[in-house]
Amino acid sequence: MEKINVCINSQTPLLQFLPPPGGGPGPPWGETANLAEFEEGVDYRISPGGVTRMVYPLVRRLLAQGVLDETHWVSLNPVGPRVVRTDGLTLHNVALGPQRMGGYGKTKEAIWSTIHGLTPTESTEDLFWSEEFSEYAFYNRTTSERIRKLDDQLDFDLFYIHDFQQMPVGQMLQTLKPKLFRWHIPFDASRIPEDWRALFVNYLDSYDVVVVSCDRYRAGLRALGFRGKSVRLYPYVDPKEYRRPGKRVAAATCARWGVRPGDTVILVVARMDPAKAHDRAIRALAQLVPKYPRLRLVLVGNGSFSGARGGPGLSKSQRWKSHLESEARRLGVSERVIFAGHVPQHALDCFYERALFTILPSVNEGFGLVVVESWLHRRPTLVTERAGIAELIRDGENGILFDPDDVRSLAAKMHELLDDDGELAGRLTRDAVITARACSIGTAARAEAKLMHEVLEA
Amino acid sequence: MFGLPDWTDPYLFAAIILALTWVVAWIAGFVIRGLMSQSPPQVAAGARRSGKVVVWLVGVLLAVQEVGVSIEILLLVVSLFAIAAIVALRIPLENFGAKYFSDVYSPFKVGDSIQVGSYTGKVIEINAMTTVLLSEDDRLIALPNSSLLKETLVNVSPQAWKELTIPISLPGNVDIAPIESEILKSLGKLRMRLDKRFPPILATKARTAQSTDLVLTVMIRRPEERDALLLEVNKRVHDAIQGTRTREALAPTPPPSETPAKH
Repeated sequence: MEKINVCINSQTPLLQFLPPPGGGPGPPWGETANLAEFEEGVDYRISPGGVTRMVYPLVRRLLAQGVLDETHWVSLNPVGPRVVRTDGLTLHNVALGPQRMGGYGKTKEAIWSTIHGLTPTESTEDLFWSEEFSEYAFYNRTTSERIRKLDDQLDFDLFYIHDFQQMPVGQMLQTLKPKLFRWHIPFDASRIPEDWRALFVNYLDSYDVVVVSCDRYRAGLRALGFRGKSVRLYPYVDPKEYRRPGKRVAAATCARWGVRPGDTVILVVARMDPAKAHDRAIRALAQLVPKYPRLRLVLVGNGSFSGARGGPGLSKSQRWKSHLESEARRLGVSERVIFAGHVPQHALDCFYERALFTILPSVNEGFGLVVVESWLHRRPTLVTERAGIAELIRDGENGILFDPDDVRSLAAKMHELLDDDGELAGRLTRDAVITARACSIGTAARAEAKLMHEVLEA
Repeated sequence: MFGLPDWTDPYLFAAIILALTWVVAWIAGFVIRGLMSQSPPQVAAGARRSGKVVVWLVGVLLAVQEVGVSIEILLLVVSLFAIAAIVALRIPLENFGAKYFSDVYSPFKVGDSIQVGSYTGKVIEINAMTTVLLSEDDRLIALPNSSLLKETLVNVSPQAWKELTIPISLPGNVDIAPIESEILKSLGKLRMRLDKRFPPILATKARTAQSTDLVLTVMIRRPEERDALLLEVNKRVHDAIQGTRTREALAPTPPPSETPAKH
């Protein structure tokens, strides 16, 4: 079978180039560079977040299996060289000026907030007629033009567009070649304002296949009026990247963030964002602290690419963190909550190992790969019923579901695990490891390769 | 050695005429563009091209006459060729011309269902000579484009009256992104007159090294405002294109820190 020549497009770049240690604008980035010229952690870091965490391992896997040919990945990245080459993968960075970036950022944030149910629908009805939307269109057109010019040179076999920010690219690209679109965030048609629906359907109709993360979202697409082909593929992680450190190493590492011996650790891994609803976990914690004075709630994660230097410059992560800090003070549990921020993978493994259980408290969650991570670390997990992954959970068998608006019920379910003699946790983790296989990169790589071949042969 | 040129040299004089023709053609293009700012962009572009061709034709004839070729004989030869071509290619030319006007003035596009005379079907192709329909019983119907101007055309697509499609022709190497952004910004001000559920969509229709053909689609709210909105949208598209091009022409060179350099 011939290798597939694919062009990937996402808003979030695989690599975020870092400012020099003393601050300032950074070096004069070249037009084209080889990744080997740079050092990870010094010159760049891998972007956090589900999109890059899924797509990059998938590309590597499919390149190694000979499914993909040299792959090109176009994304928004005003900082860094215009083109970066590494083994089998070429990254193309699209730059935007500060003013256009501001308008683009506001529009995509408004779409994101509305879809997550965080913004009243009436306030965004006119979004697609606003000046900011013209900048959103500018970014998407610039991206589609970049892809078109690359296609003129490289003659791609198919285009794989990722996430809601890039939705217009398919319609703008105007090619007869196959286009796949992966929708990463929740898809609930009832949350999409009436005035947005026709445009959404128009954009989605321009793709040959729309991929979503759970069956509920496929139903949402149909409810919106989309009549094209949709496929459900669970998001995935590479289990080999998750190592279980020893208890002593885990304790020593977590101590650096203030976790003391004898503390009972509850872990939330989620970026600082109102949709992640860390405040529910803090309020539930406050109900339990009188009975369990050694409880520690550890919050791992900070902002996304949107708040990073070079990104759309949205500072919601800092605002949300300040809100959580004041909420913890108000409830008298400041001492019990640790804001760990972004931590390296080894430290994250240690936090999982040190935790008694994990919570995903989001008010709305596209999927919830952190639940899979928790399973791989053999930790029981409490999962919001509003996450895509909730459809993989059999309540009480491989996880515990809860309504994020019912903090009392969440506290009661946390209490069950705190009082557990090991029987409940054992049951939850035994089954969870089996469920995690549905979200492993091996399963996903086979499904993605099959989908690409099907689209090409259709 | 470096004396004054011989101003009586007919070849020098012909060269001067051609240079002046270039200047006059440029001015004519500029004037026509201004005069046709409310016309559909594609018609304005066609008129500009035609105006320039006429100026060049006159200029070339004058230059040729200057070097001693009889203009009468030249005109006779050109006219005979033109008449022969028109007679031989009357039907294709008629269809070709009709395509140009139906693109702009006939209210249908690929994908619409239309009825022309006794023929009904979904438009699946519009080429230089014919408009191809797919009938309900799966037959292909090729309608000569000229028939679309001669016969009554009914667009039977649901809510076809709402849709305004504006063809836009731009040079091949143009950056569409800032133009699209300006058009959307400008049309946002008409949102009370347009159907808010369908924001403007700009689609690429054809692209070559020489030209980029786009189609702007907007949906109106009230049928009685269709004509007025067509004029207003055309004007705004025209202004957005001119505004973007003027700004780009006046834009300063990026400062050194933004200029990509070798790492």
